[in-house]
Amino acid sequence: MSIAPAEQQEADVAPDVRPDTPWITLVWNDPVNLMSYVTWVFETYFGYSRAKAERLMLDVHQLGKAVVSNGTREKMERDTEALQGYGLWATFSKDE
Amino acid sequence: MARAFQRKGDHFVAKLDEAELQVVCALLTQTRDLIAPPEQASTGDPFDDLVASLGPVTPDDASSLDTPRDPALERLVPRANREDDEIADEFRRLTERGLRSRKAGNLQEAIDALLAADPPKVSLDQGQAQAVAMALTDVRLVLGERLGLRTDEDAEALQEKLALAEQEDEDDPVLLLSAYYDFLTWLQESVTLALMS
Repeated sequence: MSIAPAEQQEADVAPDVRPDTPWITLVWNDPVNLMSYVTWVFETYFGYSRAKAERLMLDVHQLGKAVVSNGTREKMERDTEALQGYGLWATFSKDE
Repeated sequence: MARAFQRKGDHFVAKLDEAELQVVCALLTQTRDLIAPPEQASTGDPFDDLVASLGPVTPDDASSLDTPRDPALERLVPRANREDDEIADEFRRLTERGLRSRKAGNLQEAIDALLAADPPKVSLDQGQAQAVAMALTDVRLVLGERLGLRTDEDAEALQEKLALAEQEDEDDPVLLLSAYYDFLTWLQESVTLALMS
């Protein structure tokens, strides 16, 4: 809880000033996508090993979401667009 | 009787009878029509048309986050940033037309691959099998939205309902849609596992 005005809080953070602010791509759980298919997408798109792809898939399934990649905003936008192309529920955001 | 996809050498082979293939292709076609981006009106000048087709999309293209639209479409190209409307809007403006156009193209590739089959034998190469796996995802996302599947529990409840229904309620449209969904789930699982084997 804070009593500072919201505007001032935002001005203090100013995250966009740092060009190297790391961003992340997230995949969210949904009731339609198959565990096998999600694993296959992580292997196919990212080139992750079966073990890593399965671990991320289980995080999505059991925890509701997983961070599947991180890097520049441009790269995370590309990953999000590609994963949405595969039908996964992907979003990107600042890593905070 | 359908038989699941199996890898045979460099091909992916399944058995689907003509009626099953027709249902799958009809659902793929409906999904393609839902997701294909709206046609851009021709300017009468081929060069201007080409430039217009490169995007970005026009403001009346229903691409703003504020514009209400089919929830199934919203699930196929979801809001990409949950914290910042401006970032989400910009992403949608820059990517939506391309995403929808690629999805429609992929659905068409899957339709073409299945239409080329000689029922009951279906034989796909690697690229076609990938197109089918991705296309079945999009179809199931749309059907799942229409069936109100929001949580894993909803999906389990659908399974239980189907198991109890047997053949009593063949005229129930929700049950029929659920049966199609279940069939596509089985088909997608088999082609995905074959791709991973």
